[in-house]
Parts: sequence; structure tokens; C-alpha cells
Amino acid sequence: MTYASTVSSHGAGFAHLLRAEWTKLRSLRSTWVCVGLTIGLTILLAYLAGKGNTTDANEVGPQRFFAVQLVHRPLTGDGSIIADVTNQEDTGPDAKSGLMITGPITAPTDSTQKSVGGKTAASTSAAYAAIMVTPGHGVQWQSDFTEEASGSKGSSPRWLKLTREGSRITGYESADGVTWTQVGTIDLAHLPETAEIGMFVTSPPTGVKTVRRSPTSTDSSPDYTLSTAVFDSVHVTGSDGEPLTGTWKHLDTDGAPRELPHDSVAGSFTQDGDRFTVSGAGDLGVQQPGTGGDNDAVRDSLSGILIGFVAFSVIAALFITTEFRRSIIRTTFTATPRRGRVLAAKVVVLTALAFVTGIAAAVPAFLISQPLLRANGFAPPAYPTVSLTDGPVARAVLGTGLVLALLAILSLALGALLRSSAAAITLVIALVLTPLIIGPFLTLGGEAWLKRVTPGAGMAIQQTRERWDDAIGPWAGTAVLAGWVAVALVAAFLQLRRRDA
Amino acid sequence: MSPAGRALHAEWTKTRTVRSSGWLLAGITILTLGLGAVIAASVRFDGCAPQGGQCDIDATRIALSGVYVGQIAAVVFGVLVASSEYATGTIRTTLAAVPRRWLTLVAKTIAVTGPVLVASLLAVTGSLLVARTVLPSNGFTPAHGYPALSLGDTTTLRACAGTVLYLFLIALIGLGVALIVRNTGAAIAISLSLLFVFPIVATLVSEPRWREWLTEWAPMTAGLAVQTSRGLETMPVGPWQGLAILAAYAGAALAMGGILLEVRDA
Repeated sequence: MTYASTVSSHGAGFAHLLRAEWTKLRSLRSTWVCVGLTIGLTILLAYLAGKGNTTDANEVGPQRFFAVQLVHRPLTGDGSIIADVTNQEDTGPDAKSGLMITGPITAPTDSTQKSVGGKTAASTSAAYAAIMVTPGHGVQWQSDFTEEASGSKGSSPRWLKLTREGSRITGYESADGVTWTQVGTIDLAHLPETAEIGMFVTSPPTGVKTVRRSPTSTDSSPDYTLSTAVFDSVHVTGSDGEPLTGTWKHLDTDGAPRELPHDSVAGSFTQDGDRFTVSGAGDLGVQQPGTGGDNDAVRDSLSGILIGFVAFSVIAALFITTEFRRSIIRTTFTATPRRGRVLAAKVVVLTALAFVTGIAAAVPAFLISQPLLRANGFAPPAYPTVSLTDGPVARAVLGTGLVLALLAILSLALGALLRSSAAAITLVIALVLTPLIIGPFLTLGGEAWLKRVTPGAGMAIQQTRERWDDAIGPWAGTAVLAGWVAVALVAAFLQLRRRDA
Repeated sequence: MSPAGRALHAEWTKTRTVRSSGWLLAGITILTLGLGAVIAASVRFDGCAPQGGQCDIDATRIALSGVYVGQIAAVVFGVLVASSEYATGTIRTTLAAVPRRWLTLVAKTIAVTGPVLVASLLAVTGSLLVARTVLPSNGFTPAHGYPALSLGDTTTLRACAGTVLYLFLIALIGLGVALIVRNTGAAIAISLSLLFVFPIVATLVSEPRWREWLTEWAPMTAGLAVQTSRGLETMPVGPWQGLAILAAYAGAALAMGGILLEVRDA
């Protein structure tokens, strides 16, 4: 009579294998210590991140900007200016090119000038009205920092016209310079008899420019780009209906040469008959607060998983290195000669435990830190209220489980590869944590590169809002980490198959 | 040979003949030197201060920054001197041979001290020489307020001597933690966390008071305050004072490990 095993060689075999591996993991005493530490440390750090972060983003009031490149000439009494904005450089949706009438602009003195990130925001007491095209918001009408109106959605090329009748200023737009549509009108009672009229160009910062001054300090300033616009067929008509001739003056908000500490974005203009090319940077109008908050408070409150992971990496590595040390691996491989399946079973079991642990850590971490952060100033409007069901937050919380699982498999694979818990744990902690420590010593570009290529890139999945120092996107970062895991797993599999246990 | 001499000889033999010792000691030197060279080569004066402005980069710190990774080898070396004996069970033989357990502790401490000091000395002097050659070509010249790094300068000398001591104290922390938890994996994870967790937490909080506290009392940042050569007045902790805080951590870990060695069954 021949012996036949009652255990199926495939199919049901893998389910048995999973149960065997789960039993091993479950009965290792250190497993539950490490799971508890992972959850506990993550929550503790979320509490610290909630308590230790404050912001005054909501205390910043609205700011008035009158920083434009103005090409102007005086206009006494009634009159109008017409120009065809044939080409506006798209340096951002809010770049502004158009026509303006304003009272005399006083040169900013120390008391009236407010420097905002190196850009002079001259506070003018003079009245102004302006009609402009923008790349992102079509034709806009603006006066005295208060009145605003929108015209058509089109951007350049576009004809613009500004007229003065007494104290009434009216702005028009046109597609062809023949049929005009009124966009906005205002009664500027305190505009003097002789006003300045002309073309202006400005472009608000599109980002933040950061310079690393030392490993512990960086300087950030708004990143201004000069926008250039071409005004064709410019002509000014006086009160008698006759075209006015004469020289144009060139002002950088106040006519004074501007000195910028970080970056020179002083504008310029050239004239060719009735065709003007003007470039400038700055902003015109009121900037509301609410865009000021750029801290990613949700990410900060979940980052503790990195510390929790240190505890988890121990169990993940021990899950296989213990078997090598105690030679249980021989029994395991005798029971399941196909070693790849053993590795696969370990990966499945560990992934499940790590994912659940990660979620069990991230959900309370988020819930605990949110009220603390709100109390410390992370409140609307600068920081809108967020909940677990918001897309980016849900991605960050579920992603925390995913990242912990991927990092755990990396530890496991290194354990299988190196067969030593000391080497595997040291290597995985060094790979994940040291880039954070040495990054600040590199240039900003070098640090970003390091954050992109090391396994810690996976932490990007916790981002919930864009920041200037984001090195990599959420899913791209996860892909980098997954790449590390894949390479380590393949190496571990080949090593297991080739080498004696 | 006296009992103390025999104990020391035994520990030295173990350290000398374990394969990982050589790798780890070489690791202290190579990692410190290598990373220091990469960092020194990557910093640029004009990247730090474009169009004038103030550059606050501390050239001495840059020169010795490789220690951030080199210390990993030091801590693992310290851990393995104790924990590998628990893993294999040799600790029972050791304690049977030297029944006075405190003598074993002293012998182990000395067996850690000598090799780590030598490896660290090589790492630090090598790093300084590399940075001295590389930094001036990156714009860190006397004209920009960066005189050539030299041991003749007292702050540089303090930074170098302090960094050697730092690596030695880090190895002792590893030894102490290993005696406490008696498990290689756990000891490495705990001692590396002790080093890296505080600075990482400091990046998560914005409150200056918290950051200062975390910098002042964390073993790594406090201990490396000894490398500071500029902006000393803005440091929350002084150079030697910081190293003393690290020494307190090492002393506490070692004392606790020693007490547990005395009172626990092996």
C-alpha cells in the first residue's frame, strides 16, 4: 500500500500556509508589543503635533497692493484712452495688463510703504480706476481697491477703453475696436482735474522662492515673474476730441527706482509709434487672507507613523529572521518545499496586520490632533475644516496603512535577504529615517532628490495640500516605495531559492 | 594575569574575532567620511547667499556632518558587544568565567571604548581634511568669512574632539540599551529611535519653545552642539554642556544595564 498525503499539494495548500504563518506571527510575544507600540507612538506624536503647532494665518488682514508697471501721461479734464492688448504673456491666471487712470501717486516713504516679501506695496491715497485683461479670469474692472466687475471671459487679444466725463470713469471692452461693451463704471469724486492716464502691467507671485541659509533655516519670499504685454494702436483723446500727443513717462508704481533685496523684478517699457511693450510684476487690488495657510496640518499629525514604523520594523524583520536563527525555517521549508509560497504567505499575513495597524493608528491620530490644531489657529478660513471622508484626508489615512504595510514588507524582505535581524533592522531604519536627518545639510534640490528616491518617498501619500517643499506627489511617492519593496522581494525570493536554509 | 586583566582580555578577544566588529568599525570611519565628503561637496556658498545676504552655514558642522550616518555603525557595534552573547547563550559562560558581573561590564565598556575611539578619530580627521580641500572651491573662502578649517582653531578643535567623544558615547548608549533589553533587534530599534526620533518630532512642531526643548534635551542634537562654530549664542545648549547631556544619557543607560546585569538571571 502506498502512502498518499491527505494534504493537497496546491489550491487549499496556500490557505493552510497562510494559517500556519498567521499562527507563527500571532504567537510571537513581541508581535503584539510592537503593534501596541506602533499605534501608541503614532497617536502620541499626533498629540504632540497638535499641541506643538500654532499658526497666525487667520490673523493676517486683507492686504492692499498697488505695485504695477505704469506707462502714463497727464490728462486734464475729460478724455479717453484706447488700446489693443494684442499679446499678454501668461505668467499666471491673475497677471494683469490694462488701462488705468489715477491721481498723482505719492512716492512711498517709510511710513506709507509696506514691503511684502521684498515687493513694494505702495499704499496710494490717490483714487484709481482700471480695466484689464487677465489670462485666467477674462476682462476685469477695478477701482479704489473696492469696486470690481467682470467682463467677457476672453483674454488677449482684446481692445480696452477707459473714459473720463467729469468724475465718472467708465471702462469698456471690445473684440474689434468698433463695438464696445461697458464693463464697469465709478464716480471718483476726489480725482483731481489733471489725472495720470496710461497702460499698466503687473503679475502676482506664482509661487514661493526659498533659499537655504543654513541646515536649520530657510528664507522664503514670493516668486515674481515679469509679465510682458503688447499694447497696440494706443491713442489718448482730450476733452476736445482731438488726439493728444506728447511724451510718456515710465513709473514703477511711484517712479522711483525700486530696490528689491532678493530678486530684481523691476519692469520696463519700449515704445514704437503707438505700439508699447510693457513688462512688470507685482499686484493690483486687495488680496484676501485665506490663501496664507500652507502648512499641511493633517500630514504633520500622521507623520508619527514613521516613528511607529521603527517598532513595527522589528517584528517584520523578526518574522523571518527568527526562523533562520532557530532553524525553524528548515521545518517550514520541509512542510512547504516551494519556498516562494512561504515568502508569499508571510507577505500576505504581514501586509494584513500592518495595514490594519496603520489604520488603527492613523484614525485616532487624526481625530485627536484635529481639535488641538483648531484650538491653535488651524481654523477656517485659512485652514478649512477637514473630515475623514474628504478625499485627500481619506487618502492620507488609508495611505498610512498602505505605507506601513509596504515598509513592513521591505523589512521582511531585507530580513530574508540578510538573515540577520540586526542587519535588516539597521538597514531599514537607516534607509527610512536618515534622509530626514541629513536632508537639511544638502541643498534644497539635493534634499528633494533624496526624498524622491529613498523608501521614505512613500510618506508623500500623507500630503493633503500642496506645499512648496513637496518633493514628489502622493501616488508617485508610493510607487517609489513599492519599487523598493518589489526589488527587495525579488532579491529575497532568488536568495531563498538558491541558498541552503 | 589578574582577574580584571583576564576579563578584559576575554572581551577583547570576543570583539576582535567577531566578523561584524570589523565591518562596523570600518563602517564608522567610511560612512562618516563618505557622507561628510558628499555633503561638503554639495553645499555652495552662492546657493546659500544668492545676491549677497547672510549665509549661516557652519563649515565645521558641514565637515563633520557624516557623523549622522556614521553613528549608526557605532550604536550597532555597542549593541552587538552585549546582545550577541544573549542571542547565542555565551553570556552564561562569560558570567560563569567572571562571576563578578560588574567586572564584565567594565571589561565590555573598555572593549567598546578603544576600537570606537580609534575608528572615530580616523573618521573625524579624515572628514576635516576632505572638507578643508573641498569647501574653498565651493565658495567657502576667507573672503566670504570662511577661513580654512584647521585644528589650530579652538572651536574646530573642540568640534573634532567632541565628535570623537560623541561617537564613543553613542556606542555606550548601544551597549547600555542592549544590556537592558537583551535582544539585538529591539536594542537597535530603541537606540536608533532615541537618536532620530527627537529631531524628526522637532520638524513636526512649529512652536519655538517646543523645538528648543527638543533640541536641548535630545541625545543627538544636544551631543552634536559640540560641533557648533558659529551662532553659538543662539544655541539652546552650549557645546560642552550638550555633550554632558549626552554623557548623562549614556551613563544612565549603562548604569541601568549594569544594575540589571547584577540582579537578573542571565
